[in-house]
Amino acid sequence: MDIYASKRRIDISSEKDAVLVRRCWQGDSAAMEELIVKYQSRIYNVILKICADPDDAAELTQETFVKVIENIDSFEGRSGFYTWVFRIAVNLTLNYCQRNARLRFSSLDASEAKAQYSSQENRVLKEFLSDNSSPDPAAMAQNKELYEIAVESLMKLDDAQRAVVVLRDIEGMNYARIAKVLDIELGTVRSRLSRARSKLRQILEAILQ
Amino acid sequence: MKEIPNMDELLNSFIDGELPARQQTEVQRLVNHEEKIAQRLQQLQKCKMLLNSLPVAEAPPQILESVKASLARKPQLAEQSSVFDERAGTRHLLGRKVFAAAAMLGLVGILTAVVYTIVAPETVTQRPVAVERREPAPTVDVVKPGPTIVAAPFSGRLELRTSYLPAVVAFINRAIEDNVPSDEWIASDQSNVNPAHRMGWVKEPHALICGSESFNLLLAELGNIWDKLDSAVLFVDTEVFGEQVVVDAVTAEQISGIVNQDDSKRRMEVAKDFAVLNNMAEHLPGREILAAIDDTTVGLITPPKPVLTWNQKTEKKSPARTKENKNIHLTITVVGGD
Repeated sequence: MDIYASKRRIDISSEKDAVLVRRCWQGDSAAMEELIVKYQSRIYNVILKICADPDDAAELTQETFVKVIENIDSFEGRSGFYTWVFRIAVNLTLNYCQRNARLRFSSLDASEAKAQYSSQENRVLKEFLSDNSSPDPAAMAQNKELYEIAVESLMKLDDAQRAVVVLRDIEGMNYARIAKVLDIELGTVRSRLSRARSKLRQILEAILQ
Repeated sequence: MKEIPNMDELLNSFIDGELPARQQTEVQRLVNHEEKIAQRLQQLQKCKMLLNSLPVAEAPPQILESVKASLARKPQLAEQSSVFDERAGTRHLLGRKVFAAAAMLGLVGILTAVVYTIVAPETVTQRPVAVERREPAPTVDVVKPGPTIVAAPFSGRLELRTSYLPAVVAFINRAIEDNVPSDEWIASDQSNVNPAHRMGWVKEPHALICGSESFNLLLAELGNIWDKLDSAVLFVDTEVFGEQVVVDAVTAEQISGIVNQDDSKRRMEVAKDFAVLNNMAEHLPGREILAAIDDTTVGLITPPKPVLTWNQKTEKKSPARTKENKNIHLTITVVGGD
């Protein structure tokens, strides 16, 4: 039931987007403004989670919409506007990540990871990992220590894995849409996501050791 | 129990609800019966939950404005670089043409010499030479044209800022159409190709490549809208690549004074003088110095200034205008006031 409800929501949203895009084609700037306002926070949030720098995220969001406006005529509507705009945003962000080596955290060295965190953060993480019950996500969101660990761990994934994880677990896209946004096979999405979560788990455990 | 390949992939798909119903049930049964699998499922679920718990960041409020600003900046940069590219390309092409012409002349010379050595001695020396004494032909006084004074080419950009954007743009469009022959300006209205223009977020500049006669007529007409402008800045390109003299608060008369200089050095001096004077005037209270600035233009060429009212229809100029050097390259950009 939930799946159908969310699918219906996406369809309605796509229909609205299609109407707005058609108005953009006719030169209606208000329609483009509406689309920008509608998606700017979601785009910014995804970019921020991939690149980790608020200023760069703002600039990349702006660049995304400039590209959207410049290329709106070439948008054929084969995928939804939502998918198209995310594809532009993620491509720009991944290109940016490739250019910026400072974003690369490839080391999984436990001692290095451990040195970054205070005993308080370690304790919080230990509780989280050992807790057999399902913790309340709202309470987790309030936990500053856990938040910092999550962000740092995410940044230790490689760019391609981070993009898949962010699109799935933060933006909430289904696998088919992720495949369209990243222009990869559905099977690649499954395997990449699986490897990313396994690696994330390894990173968290390395912090505790 | 038999080891299942890609168990993590299966569990992740199970967590995300991406398995077909039958497989979803099978995995659920496995999780219920195998403690190890249940444990692994929980580990993966926690990773997902950890990322799910990250707060959603709100986009900065100025995104929309910065998108518009970025779109407005882009054509100016593209246009500027194309002007520089064009000039560099022209120089390169000219150099190649001169070189090719020199090579051709050299080749013709060598060929002539070869042909002469083979043919000429026999034909010339063997013939009798008849010498006829002739009276010198009466000389006719041909009025030779004096040395043509070609004004040094001007290249620059005029940036106009106004709060009456549509009216000013319409006026300029009409003034250009009426005063400058259509082959001397580029109507860079890209509204059919660029969505940003179609949405009215960017005003494309006008690129003029015209002679001084057309330019002076146009400038005289543009003088009528000067009081509708918030600011007018003239960027004069120098001979040094990428360097410009910037004349803030420039008047139509000053532009005429700068552009109509025959010598490029003198032009730069005049432009710099105006830049300094206008800058001083901007910083002095009362702006009385502006009158003094206007007085300095007495010695310069002043374009004829027709009396026009705002909505008066301009007189269409005759297309049968004498051809002149199109040595003025000016880009006019109109920007909306803040």
